Amino acid sequence: MGKYYAGIDIGSRTIELVIVDETGNIAEHFQRDTGYDPMREVDGLLSQVRYDAIMATGYGRNLFELSFDAQTVTEIKAHARGARATFPAARTVLDIGGQDSKVISLSEAGRVSRFEMNDRCAAGTGKFMEIMAKTLGYSIDNFGHEALAAKQEIAISSMCTVFAESEVTSLIARGEDCREIALGLHGSVVRRVCGMIRRVASAGGGELVFTGGVARNPCIRQLLEKNLDRKVLVAEDPQLMGAYGAALLALESSDQ
Amino acid sequence: MEEMKPLFEDEYAGQPAPKRVLAYMQHKQENGRPIAGTYCAYAPVELMQAMGITPAVLCAFAKATIASAETVLPANLCPLIKSSYGFIMEGSCPFFSMSGAVVAETTCDGKKKMFELAAEVKPLHVMDLPQLPDEAEAQENWTRMIRKLQGFLEETFDCAATDSQIEESLKKSNRRNQLMRKIFDYAAIHPPVLNWQEMFDISFMALPYDVDDAVPVLEGIIERLEERVTKGLHHGNAKSPRILVTGSPVGGDALKIYRIIEQCGGVVVTPDCCTGYKLFAEDFEEGTADPVEALARRYLKIPCSCMTPNEGRLAALSKMIERFKPDGVIDFVLTACHSYNVESYKVGNYISEQHELPFLKIETDYSDNDEGQIRTKVQALFEIIS
Repeated sequence: MGKYYAGIDIGSRTIELVIVDETGNIAEHFQRDTGYDPMREVDGLLSQVRYDAIMATGYGRNLFELSFDAQTVTEIKAHARGARATFPAARTVLDIGGQDSKVISLSEAGRVSRFEMNDRCAAGTGKFMEIMAKTLGYSIDNFGHEALAAKQEIAISSMCTVFAESEVTSLIARGEDCREIALGLHGSVVRRVCGMIRRVASAGGGELVFTGGVARNPCIRQLLEKNLDRKVLVAEDPQLMGAYGAALLALESSDQ
Repeated sequence: MEEMKPLFEDEYAGQPAPKRVLAYMQHKQENGRPIAGTYCAYAPVELMQAMGITPAVLCAFAKATIASAETVLPANLCPLIKSSYGFIMEGSCPFFSMSGAVVAETTCDGKKKMFELAAEVKPLHVMDLPQLPDEAEAQENWTRMIRKLQGFLEETFDCAATDSQIEESLKKSNRRNQLMRKIFDYAAIHPPVLNWQEMFDISFMALPYDVDDAVPVLEGIIERLEERVTKGLHHGNAKSPRILVTGSPVGGDALKIYRIIEQCGGVVVTPDCCTGYKLFAEDFEEGTADPVEALARRYLKIPCSCMTPNEGRLAALSKMIERFKPDGVIDFVLTACHSYNVESYKVGNYISEQHELPFLKIETDYSDNDEGQIRTKVQALFEIIS
């Protein structure tokens, strides 16, 4: 029987588990909410699968390392590896996860050469989108579609989750169109990450890959392409990229 | 491997650095020596020492005093300024309590305005620090400011120094700086023979001590370092990423940056900040017509981000990179330290383009709630290096 390698990405909002076979093809993948007891969720996930080696990433990786026989890797290297495996020409990776956003620049050979990470507040992250969708009465899955249906954008000036929420509440009270407010919120997230992309992005061209749960939002994707005037590549399951990259790194480190 | 002997052979080995220095200051004070507080590397300690005054570096690095400070100062101010003022308000800095006066400089805006408030508590002399150090007038003005400080200290402490005593004092400082550079060279060895904690403790002691008292201690430290070399003892291993840390001052709760680097498996080979190598990097010119002018010339060469343009910082970085051979550079920026924060862009480009070294900027304050995030960034930097 062939060998299997696991990658687990223990994020602030969700946990992803990817199992690859000896050739690096995804055999199985799982996702669940991190909840209040991440290690219990991890136990639940791992009890369903068989693997020969495991690599952990995400903010919970060090906790995981304490109770499991595992190697760890930062989310930065894991996302870079996953994105590169999915799109071999990738030179820049944008990841917007639950509580942070990061831009990673890759060398021609695919090694991380530079990165920037915004992680001190929820501004412009998945958590920000979740709270704003809720304030406007949309589900997170529909939030981007609703924003795209707007005729025009109402500019939102606050990037801070707390201030933006009260700004949105007062716009609603003024009778403004919720879709237009939604578009404004998407616009503010995109403008922020575009600044980060311009600072960090690889000068050597190549492709831009967007990973993390927020990459599923069609409005963010569209505004990014418009703002940067370049194509943005998104995998079928962008939130799996970290776990997929970790699984590949587990496979590669067993080769050595 | 044989265990390393502590570099200090006193009862304070293994204790926080301020304890040793505080005991020293108390001893000096009991013997009738006046104490003057300082906050910054620009304070000309050679002048004070020539006048028989002991300089005391005042507390500025604890998150514990920030809450008190924020009852007066805005929350979005640099933690170093808030902490300093919090210590003054609470009366919890023993060095401040024992100081008869404080020597301050017009470095950044936050400090300048904080000094106005501190002056209500203790006699405080502000020196007008020129901020265009390359201008001809800067040299002249700073010389004049040091002379003015001399006048203030004469009046406040009723003590004096002749120019030849000042000359003697800067010569002694040179002697100390040479010994300090010799000590830092043990961090240039691969793997390093001394670590960040030792470099911090030694620097913390070396600056305010009378040079005559510091020299035997430093010589003893060099002997013990040499012993480590002979025995093949070192910190980290051949694979430990060697890191140069530049940027805002590091001490107390900000030492977390050094600690995290070490916990992630790296070694700090150059603490380039006002509490590290920067103070000892250059010598004073000896035998000039005016020793105060020689002091002024050297002090204006300190490449603090409050200066513009601050090309000296880039040149100093190149020199340090050559000397200590780091694998990566971390720019440590305290929250709301605008000048270091803005300068980080220039420094980052310089490090990547001129030296092709991985560069990481860490912006943080004295709290410990972002240690996980800092660790992730440092680990990612190490992944780039490995």
